[in-house]
Amino acid sequence: MEAIIVLFTTGLISMFLGAFNKPKLVVLLAVLGLGFAAYVQHFPLHFLPEKYNLLSFEGNGNAFVGLALFLTAMVILAGFSYFKADEGHTGDFVSLLLFSVSGAVILVGFKDMFMFFLGVEILSIPLYVLVGSKKKNVLSSEAAIKYFFTGAFATSLMLFGIALIYGASGSFKLDEIYFGLQIAGYSPMLYVGVTMLLASMLFKVGAFPFHFWVADVYEGSPNIFMGYMASVVKLVMSFAFVKLFTGVFEGISPFWTDILAVSIVVSMFIGNLSALRQTRFKRLMAFSSITNSAYVLLAVLSNDPTNIKAIYVFLLGYGASVVAMVIISLMLDDESDELANYKGIGYKNPIVGIVATIALLSMAGIPPLTGFIGKVMLFSSVYENYLWLVGLALLNSAIGVYFYVRMIMNILSKDDTEIKTLSFDWLQYAALIICGVVVAGGWSIMACWH
Amino acid sequence: MELILIPLALGLISFLIPKKSIRIVGLLAGLIPAGVAIMHACSFKGGEVNLFGPWLDFGYGLTFHFSYDGLGLAMILLTNLLVPVILLSNYNSPVSESKAFHAMLFFMQCGLLGVFTSADGILFYVFWEFTLIPIFLIILWFGSGTNKGLLKFFVYTLFGSLGMLLSFIALGAQAESFDYADLIAVQLDSQFAFWIAMGFLLAFAIKIPLFPFHTWQPDTYSGAPMAGTMLLSALMLKMALFGMIKWMIPLTWEGLDDYKYIILILAVIGILYGGIIAIKQNDIKKIFAFSSISHLGLIVAGIVLFTHDALVGSTIQLINHSLLSIGVFMVAEILESRLKTRNIREMGGIAKLAPKFGFWFAVIAFTAVSIPFTAGFIGEFIILKEVTSFNFYVGIMSATTLVFGAVYMLRSYQVSMFGNPTLTSFEDLKWNEWLTFALLVGAMVFFGFYPKMITDLVGPSIDTILQTLK
Repeated sequence: MEAIIVLFTTGLISMFLGAFNKPKLVVLLAVLGLGFAAYVQHFPLHFLPEKYNLLSFEGNGNAFVGLALFLTAMVILAGFSYFKADEGHTGDFVSLLLFSVSGAVILVGFKDMFMFFLGVEILSIPLYVLVGSKKKNVLSSEAAIKYFFTGAFATSLMLFGIALIYGASGSFKLDEIYFGLQIAGYSPMLYVGVTMLLASMLFKVGAFPFHFWVADVYEGSPNIFMGYMASVVKLVMSFAFVKLFTGVFEGISPFWTDILAVSIVVSMFIGNLSALRQTRFKRLMAFSSITNSAYVLLAVLSNDPTNIKAIYVFLLGYGASVVAMVIISLMLDDESDELANYKGIGYKNPIVGIVATIALLSMAGIPPLTGFIGKVMLFSSVYENYLWLVGLALLNSAIGVYFYVRMIMNILSKDDTEIKTLSFDWLQYAALIICGVVVAGGWSIMACWH
Repeated sequence: MELILIPLALGLISFLIPKKSIRIVGLLAGLIPAGVAIMHACSFKGGEVNLFGPWLDFGYGLTFHFSYDGLGLAMILLTNLLVPVILLSNYNSPVSESKAFHAMLFFMQCGLLGVFTSADGILFYVFWEFTLIPIFLIILWFGSGTNKGLLKFFVYTLFGSLGMLLSFIALGAQAESFDYADLIAVQLDSQFAFWIAMGFLLAFAIKIPLFPFHTWQPDTYSGAPMAGTMLLSALMLKMALFGMIKWMIPLTWEGLDDYKYIILILAVIGILYGGIIAIKQNDIKKIFAFSSISHLGLIVAGIVLFTHDALVGSTIQLINHSLLSIGVFMVAEILESRLKTRNIREMGGIAKLAPKFGFWFAVIAFTAVSIPFTAGFIGEFIILKEVTSFNFYVGIMSATTLVFGAVYMLRSYQVSMFGNPTLTSFEDLKWNEWLTFALLVGAMVFFGFYPKMITDLVGPSIDTILQTLK
């Protein structure tokens, strides 16, 4: 609760600070605010009476909030060159990101359907604006419109689902729904409601059959906000997904696991097979994010809430890798976004090369990087009931290696004709190195849990 | 633990050494791990030596545990002693002036040592995959092949490894943890064990490579720089053979009777196929690549019989093949770098122009056809004896490797070295080149006279493995 207040206040302050045209000040303040929010999240002050507290961060909630705040801080640092180019609006961008991340905190801690809905909306609405923030770019405006309309559609489905679930169980509170359903039994109304909720959640994480917006929206949005969507939004949405489905609707799991399994299989193949032929960076990231969403959903299938740790490790690796790649793309500052323009930049700038290699290999699932450990945990969590699914997921990992490694070969190419020069800024550079370290060694966080 | 950490540290330090002195510093640095390995060998008293752990139960059954037995120690010695030899053989080639090359070589060594010492399934897999990255970068930066071929190699081998990962996950779900002892203790029914073994086999068969999975090899070998080819054939594919002896067969012992025949048939096809294709090739690197398939088929046949003698023979042959492959690929590189062609039809009369090279190539060719008093003879003889006593016809077919070996080796020697000189000059061997040849041949002849050194090292460990299974 305190974290949300801190985030919101920081957002307001940075909005007004933006008027002074000092982007570095705004960025540093925002990062400090995020750090302070993480602090009060882990060491709460308890100044509100417990009965007014609508959020609870039991279990791994705090860890997820911490990760979301960390990734947001990295995104804000990463975006420094983008903010600097548009000094007058730095405050707006940063404050909208901070408002959005306070929605993310709600989405981790929600205890009832109201807060859940509130979290989803607070997370999404600033993003609709940010996606379209390149006002003069046609693609960006298109992406914003598309994202807004499809998002609104998903929201309406979600509301309808929540209403039907309320009708079936008689409550909005998660624990009361859980027990209410056991007493009242499972009515057809509930099934319809859960299906609608599932559809809207699949939309939010970008999985089949609601994946179609991902490529266009990612491509159109500025790189930095694409990074935010792929890392933070995916993280908290997956957490909410697990909380709702393995926690509350566990009783009817035979019903929704079948739908989910189909969605996972098709998403994996659509994402990977489409990514094979992409020539643009953001579209590649978009399709690979569809596949990675599908991997994350494996943990929902396993129907065991402890598998949230697997999601945590996996998305720690994935989120940090995405942010690292986004930083490199911002350093390159290339409007055309063609993958061919990345040629040789890693060989010329060794640090960039090392971090890019680590990030891409982690996404491809090569040990001993965080992405690999997360993948092993995800796959072993579903192994017992869905061996065929694990087999298909491994096959997809192998397909994914193709385009990730092709990109590494491109970046590390020794061929030194026409290498683009990178623009460096120490804030971005620091974020890049932090992300690289996290991707390489973040899995050791598992030791803290034991 | 210092076994694994020293190469890692050396790899990192290589980036700091000034470019002028990297060559000599790299060569001397390569001797440090070799010395450490020899110290380990001197203090080895048999049994299982625990290096580190089991430590840090991460949850999910992952442990952090390193140990080695006699077989592992033999592989450690092989790796650490061959790395300086590889550095020596590359001393005058352009790659040795690069910091990145030395760093990658040491990272590779670190990965290999990790594979040979890890006592946890997932740890084994981690190091197994880790070795792919340095070799990938060496081929990418210093190779002459196309990116497409390299990508094929990477995706192909990685795809196979994922089969192994699936097997480990499936096994680990039944065991208490991924620790070697726990995985061994799992009782499987034979059908399940069969499928687990197929997962392992996919990884190992691609890396070795066994017959239908070999298509990546000739292209990769001919496109890679000499150091890359040497690392691949002398050390990297030995990981797969080691994996079969240490991991695949003991873990899936219950299903061995079912899959034994599949592997044996593939191995024998590999022996015949590799030998026959090698006779018809004119590209010298491809001749050696296919001959490698043929030799390895025999080793795999020995391993899969899984008797004491067959395993000892396979280990001797495995070590011999490592030494031999460095020698033959060095010959190929000398010819290619000086003549700018790999086609043996365009060569001829080199023995007259470069007598030293002619002599050492002849010695290498003779060791390759396993004449008596070389390690190859001992190894092949023991394996063939075991294969023949298992099944006479399989034994006969496997024995053709000797005949084919003589044909393609002597043919490539004859066509390239004798005949009418078409060239006017051919630079003779440099000091590092003849020293490399002498070291390799010396080792092979030594083990040909005194194979007891290897059998004493690995024999007891193999007995232990066999006893725990029965």
